[in-house]
Amino acid sequence: MRIGKLIFLLGCTASLAAQVTDKQLLEAPGANWLHYNGSYDSRRFSTLAQINTRNVNELAAKWVFHVPGAGGLETVPIVVDGVMYVTQPNEVYALDARSGRKIWEFHHVGPSADRGPNRGVGIYGDKVFFTTPDAVLIALNASTGNEIWEVKLAEPEEGYWSPAAPLIVKGKVIVGVAPGDRGLNGILDAYDPVTGKRLWRWSPIPKPGEPGNETWAGDSWKHAGEDTWLTQSYDPELNLLIWGIGNPSPDFNGDVRKGDNLYTECVVALDPDTGTMKWYFQFTPHDVMDWDAVEIPVLIDAPYEGKMRKLLAQADRNGFYYVLDRTNGKFLHGSMFVHQLNWATGLTPEGRPIRVPGVEPSLLGTKVCPSSLGATNWMSPSYDPQTGLFYVVSIEGCGIATKSTEQFRPGGFQYRATGDVLIHDDSWKVYVRALDMPTGKLIWEQERIGNDFWGGGVMSTAGGLLFSGEWNGQFVAMDAKTGKILWHFNTGQHINAQPITYSVDGEEYVSLAAGGDVFSFGLFEPGKTAAK
Amino acid sequence: MNIRNCCFVIGFVLAGFGAAPQVPRQANPLGNGSDVVQAGRALFNKTCTGCHGVDAGEGSRGPALAGERRFFRLSDGAIFGVVKNGIPGTAMPGMGLKDDDAWRIVAFIRNLRGTASDNDVPGDVEHGMTVFKGKGGCLACHMIRGEGGTIGPDLSSIGAQVSLAHLREELTHELPIPQGYAPVHAVGPRGEVVDGIAKNDDDFSIQILDEKNKLHLYDKSTLKALTYAKHSLMPHDYDKLLTPEEFQDLLAMLSKQTRVKVHIAADRENEAGR
Repeated sequence: MRIGKLIFLLGCTASLAAQVTDKQLLEAPGANWLHYNGSYDSRRFSTLAQINTRNVNELAAKWVFHVPGAGGLETVPIVVDGVMYVTQPNEVYALDARSGRKIWEFHHVGPSADRGPNRGVGIYGDKVFFTTPDAVLIALNASTGNEIWEVKLAEPEEGYWSPAAPLIVKGKVIVGVAPGDRGLNGILDAYDPVTGKRLWRWSPIPKPGEPGNETWAGDSWKHAGEDTWLTQSYDPELNLLIWGIGNPSPDFNGDVRKGDNLYTECVVALDPDTGTMKWYFQFTPHDVMDWDAVEIPVLIDAPYEGKMRKLLAQADRNGFYYVLDRTNGKFLHGSMFVHQLNWATGLTPEGRPIRVPGVEPSLLGTKVCPSSLGATNWMSPSYDPQTGLFYVVSIEGCGIATKSTEQFRPGGFQYRATGDVLIHDDSWKVYVRALDMPTGKLIWEQERIGNDFWGGGVMSTAGGLLFSGEWNGQFVAMDAKTGKILWHFNTGQHINAQPITYSVDGEEYVSLAAGGDVFSFGLFEPGKTAAK
Repeated sequence: MNIRNCCFVIGFVLAGFGAAPQVPRQANPLGNGSDVVQAGRALFNKTCTGCHGVDAGEGSRGPALAGERRFFRLSDGAIFGVVKNGIPGTAMPGMGLKDDDAWRIVAFIRNLRGTASDNDVPGDVEHGMTVFKGKGGCLACHMIRGEGGTIGPDLSSIGAQVSLAHLREELTHELPIPQGYAPVHAVGPRGEVVDGIAKNDDDFSIQILDEKNKLHLYDKSTLKALTYAKHSLMPHDYDKLLTPEEFQDLLAMLSKQTRVKVHIAADRENEAGR
């Protein structure tokens, strides 16, 4: 080793780190998994097919990485050129995606590490980006974890924090904050990836004089909630950020905020260059059940009633599956994807729910289905263009919902005005469901037997598979056409995160976080020996 | 009793003393400014070296306080009590010092353990940065606040991470290669030559960062050659390369790099006796 030569080189060469380009970010997931949702359209469909319905029964664990001190990880790994990035609150780890060996780790020293989870990083150029429990956006050198810059998104002392993986769009780092359950008004921001300078901020709550403020009685818009706590989607052709927005505050008592409460419970389309809103669609006007509409909008180009359309499919926490025209936000189709739904009888031709009077939180308690957990939640859905099916994790279940009178208190206190008691009876069940994309018709369902909580989301692949991690620890591969289980592995701990797939040197891996560990699986190779 | 055992016993007693509920967690009323530390050092070297060695570095009969971590978990008040009154039943006597002098010694003992940033290091910080970027050539390998190379450790928080003595030593002595910075030379499966540092390795794989900030991840069985250098890439002749003024300015600048003040949080958690 010629140290002199190396030092000489260091002095003479410009730094040429591995670069993630805008072009790469536009590609469907293959060897790399570059976005929280796999791709801008959030289909979570990988083009990899080495692991497929014929050989998935040979899938074996390749490595496990324990994230020090972790439990209940919700990180979705990002993989680029054989390097995997995983997170827990305040921490990022870079791993060799083939061996699981650590390359570097970064720790942010913040005042409030108890605010979790963290759901992962965004990557662009030679940097990775992540946000923290004290609402700071941090840029790190992707090869070494050196901190390049940091910027405060919002005031943590007021109760703001930030759990979602940043989305990189057209050279901008898009980030949001959580949670609305404290009466804190949300924001969605864009930052310059090189300097950390804020480029625009969109505030979902319209102020007096702005359109939509009339949907908030009195001063209720001031403590309105409405957060941006999950990574959403982007349409490069239409040049629209498609973003689902959280619930209004106080969550369970709408008496003080009469009106539709825009733009809570909406999906909005923003111009990523300026942050101006182009259209919106509201799933649950005047929500009183904490049914955040942050479930991921999946962007699909497909025939609809005989015509190719730019569609948006979203299975909402309120129990309805929606198909919208994403050029303008117009409602095309809506249908229930859970059987236990008693708060509405259906949707109007415009997509507005037809409410059942009295099925809402009350002083003495009212049975509302779905419960406040919702018919689905943050666990990602998937759309497989090979089967034309939309896959979603759903809970059949109800709650006894109550409301009370509560005053907003500054300082990050809960501002919910009570909630619901979940009815864990025989009817409480968790499923993976496959819906016909344009009609929402149930094609198959696979019960997650023995699970009373969500578990992770799903991922489909060109290998004809649907991967699904269950709360009780089983990581399962199904036939995407039929839902038949073809392989399973007991991780021995709760799974609360979505799987991904990637390949290194032509070998495909499937990976996910479970409990305090990150697992990676590949096809069993009996001939391969590990030599020193 | 050898020195190690002696240290252990005295440390144990000290820790117990610090934990006693009747001892107030008193901070040093004189503060920890460099004048107080310097006065304390002079007093220490006049009064305490017989047992604890010069600068508390080589204790012949008492513990070498500079290297004994447990003493620094004690509050100022607890150390003051020991200096003032001794530890009954041990060789540590009460020193019969005036209160202010005992507090000066407390400031010195605390300072032994403090990080570089706890010291008021004299020097021109701005010029130190110029030396860092220019004559010292440090920027090629090291980063400070987002600017610089990546083949050496990021120094944005170095003042809060190491003692002043260690910082000086890094610049003037050859030290063991820190974990994650071992220089390696590898020839990959396609005959490609990779020179860089091993961020990590085990029996089966190695993760190399090259001089262009690019990672090379190998299954070791596929490598045609792999050699480890015996020496760190870090030059250690800055006392010769730089003028005394430049060296001092560089030291002052580095001592003030405290992007993340880990030690402050740790101090708060490790109050006396815990």
